[in-house]
Amino acid sequence: MSAYHQMGHLAQNLLHDPDLGLYAGAILSPVNYEEEEVAGQIAGLKAREQFDTVFDPQLYCPKATRGKLPNWSYYPSDVDTADVASMSWWYQVIDRVVETCAHIGPRAVCSPAMLPNAFTDQCFSHLVDIGNRLSRCLEGTGILPIQTVVAHLPDLAAPDRALQVASIVTRTAAERVYLILVSPTEPRREFDDPEPLKGGMRLIRTLEDANLPVIVAFSSSDVLLWKFAGASACATGKYFNLRRFTKSRFDEPAEGGGQLPYWIEESLLAFLRESDLIRVRNHELMSPASDANPFGQQILSKLDETPGAPWLGLGWRQFMYWFADIEQRISAGAVDVEALLRTAETNWLRLEDAKVLMEEPRNDGRWLRPWRRALLEHAQA
Amino acid sequence: MHPASLQHVASSICNAHGYRLVQSVGSGSFKETYEVVSSDGAHQALKVFQPGFSPARTKRELEAMTRCEHPNIGKLSYVSTFPWQGQTYLFLVEEFVPGGTLTSRLRTQGLLSPTEGAVLGAQLIDAVAHIASHGLVHRDLKPDNILLRADGATPVIVDFGIVRDLAEVSLTPTWSLRGPGTPFFSSPEQLNNEKAYIDWRADQFSLGVIICVSMFGFHPFEQPGSTPDEVVELVAERRTRAERFHAAVRDTGFVILERMTAPWPAQRFRHPHLLAEAWCASLQPGTGDA
Repeated sequence: MSAYHQMGHLAQNLLHDPDLGLYAGAILSPVNYEEEEVAGQIAGLKAREQFDTVFDPQLYCPKATRGKLPNWSYYPSDVDTADVASMSWWYQVIDRVVETCAHIGPRAVCSPAMLPNAFTDQCFSHLVDIGNRLSRCLEGTGILPIQTVVAHLPDLAAPDRALQVASIVTRTAAERVYLILVSPTEPRREFDDPEPLKGGMRLIRTLEDANLPVIVAFSSSDVLLWKFAGASACATGKYFNLRRFTKSRFDEPAEGGGQLPYWIEESLLAFLRESDLIRVRNHELMSPASDANPFGQQILSKLDETPGAPWLGLGWRQFMYWFADIEQRISAGAVDVEALLRTAETNWLRLEDAKVLMEEPRNDGRWLRPWRRALLEHAQA
Repeated sequence: MHPASLQHVASSICNAHGYRLVQSVGSGSFKETYEVVSSDGAHQALKVFQPGFSPARTKRELEAMTRCEHPNIGKLSYVSTFPWQGQTYLFLVEEFVPGGTLTSRLRTQGLLSPTEGAVLGAQLIDAVAHIASHGLVHRDLKPDNILLRADGATPVIVDFGIVRDLAEVSLTPTWSLRGPGTPFFSSPEQLNNEKAYIDWRADQFSLGVIICVSMFGFHPFEQPGSTPDEVVELVAERRTRAERFHAAVRDTGFVILERMTAPWPAQRFRHPHLLAEAWCASLQPGTGDA
């Protein structure tokens, strides 16, 4: 039961922030760092006992030459012409990933995986074949294999699809699963259809019941649902207060302005912009979790003392602190997730009754009812 | 050619190879099995195949039996072909297991006690684990294919006629509505020919059904009064198991059978060793009669 830090751009300082010490591990990324930088990050973390370092090769979209990925020694030079459906091609990639990991020295490595056009049975069997090959190649190295599973959340709404996927995935030789739930839901929107959520929860529950602990990757406030379903661990990064894992994240970045800071508010289970944060604070709806969040306190002090001062970095930390904290509270049984959702929904109604409108048009808590339904129906299944 | 005429072929094989034919001990659609005695007095089983019967499947069967070496799996001694009246017959000689089938044991002596079921189950789980360790799925586990040694209690799995080698291309066409196997003991994924979900856990399901039938006298999905065909449909549709099944496993301490006969492979034991460990745990004192 633990939270993992999904390493993003310039995130290494967060790894060592004493107030973010609840994280039990880090998912190391080749996209934002060179090979030697990651080797250095791992070396710097070795002194922390029990801290899990997991390398994700990030070949989800092999042709997307994102960030520093093409500089890595395992990055396939023939990616433009290769038949990525061919196992022999993947075997070569796996061999090179293993060589790279032997150099950088993580505790565990996720099996390479790509984003398919269709998430068929054959595609999941292919993922497991790759994972099993990785497991064999890692024997004797001391590095643990983790089976990557990329599942399309809307597909999981179909009756029994989660059980079908789990029936294939449980064939893995690895002892852990790194689960990526792909969704077309755009960033800054919450999942609002209970059926896919129930499917995702059922997949997690089934894998956990089969003695396959799951790390749910690229999580955000949805951590509540995945933990309720029994996920052993959830991972997040500083950007996941804004983003999610979608196919579009591999597109060329569009020109745009700078980022806005956001605050995660547990009493509403929502991300708030600065003006909304002030509104919620004025209505005395801040949660005890927010009061206890050291970064939240720093943000509020800053807003009080120097209104308009930037707090983007503190916003990331406030979110990451909350994520690890709520993960730990749920794991410890200190939180009733359904009650948390019910309270949040009630608080949104209070705001509506008080005629308080948020700055963002769709930030109105409308996802909480589908989340509650997903939770209750999952529990009853 | 009618299967009955295989008796003549078997007699000729015995004459040519120095065996004495004792009796016919079983027959299937494409083969017949005889008890024979070799020149050194050892009792063995002679299996004669109809000419032209699925050479690919027969090859798989022989390869599987050659790979398996386990006290609860029938041992293959000799394979050859025999020309007779213008046809070529494949035959094999394997270990003769004298105690009859589990089916006949249940018919003559009644249901197994929980203790007997626990012992039988442990041995069969070990055998299935051995089969799985070779990447094989037997796919036709049933009381007829479980023979008993002379002690009347030690089981031996035989008949790898429809064995699936997971490393090889499937021999079952994808368009087939139903995969091979004996429907009453088959898993839902076999019944529905869902190849993507078939692995050793299909054998785990069949084993769970066999133990349930042997101990309680009914299939886990069998409602009182339902016909075998209705039971098969319930399994294929992955319906709820019968309440009397849940009551029986609770009463006897064999709750493990619920997981073994779960409708989806993911809901069963993931590794044979996990199944074996759980089975041993169910044998601990204080868990029912077992």
